[in-house]
Amino acid sequence: MAKIIQHQLFYPNPVADVWDYLTKPELMALWLMPTNFEPVVGHEFQFTTKPMADFDFDGIFHCKVLELTPHKTLSYSWDFGLGNGILNKSIVNWTLTAKDNGTALLLVHRGFEGSEMLPIFDAMDKGWLGNINKILRLLNPTEDGTSKV
Amino acid sequence: MEQARFDAFQVIADPSRRQMLYLLSKNSLTINALAENFDMSRPAVSKHIKVLHDSGFISIEDIGRERHCTLQEAGFKDLQKWLEYFDAFWANKLEKLGKLLNDKNKKK
Repeated sequence: MAKIIQHQLFYPNPVADVWDYLTKPELMALWLMPTNFEPVVGHEFQFTTKPMADFDFDGIFHCKVLELTPHKTLSYSWDFGLGNGILNKSIVNWTLTAKDNGTALLLVHRGFEGSEMLPIFDAMDKGWLGNINKILRLLNPTEDGTSKV
Repeated sequence: MEQARFDAFQVIADPSRRQMLYLLSKNSLTINALAENFDMSRPAVSKHIKVLHDSGFISIEDIGRERHCTLQEAGFKDLQKWLEYFDAFWANKLEKLGKLLNDKNKKK
């Protein structure tokens, strides 16, 4: 059972252009978040956004480049927390594939620590089965690679 | 003053706490019955139970002289909130990226 979030998109742009938007901080800031990213394995960086009190989230994603193959794959850790030093861990993977004069971009966000226990929802009360099913759908992306909530 | 709470992923990041939730998914259990499954001191078990309780994963009810633990929805909803948040987050960001790339093509 997969426990991941994934989105697959097609952009009618060359792979090199899409890669630039994934790896150049000045371009990343335009669509993602301000960051001090550098395309170097082992480089530690942050994305900064607005804190969200509802989630006890301090507005900083702590990241480290784990893997990088120019124009093909990029992966970084994606840890988030309360600003008290305790972090929730997860991993973001990007895969680029040249296709039909454009680029197929696959995003996989996975490795949420502890999420392997989510199947126990199956065993729980029917009263909130609706919610459980929603979670299972989210954790079991459909075959075309998109997850539906 | 409320203590800074563990959030949902941190609660279930601990293997003992995951095991406790797993056991409770089969049955409500007394703290004593739950503790029998773990090779750790009673205070250590109590500490984990407190974390699970404070974060909304279980409720504790006193019945006679026993304390009964039962799985609760709230903690799991926090996990769900995060997953839904990131799912929507990425959908939104990738759409933004699409617009930027589209503009770039038009300029050529």
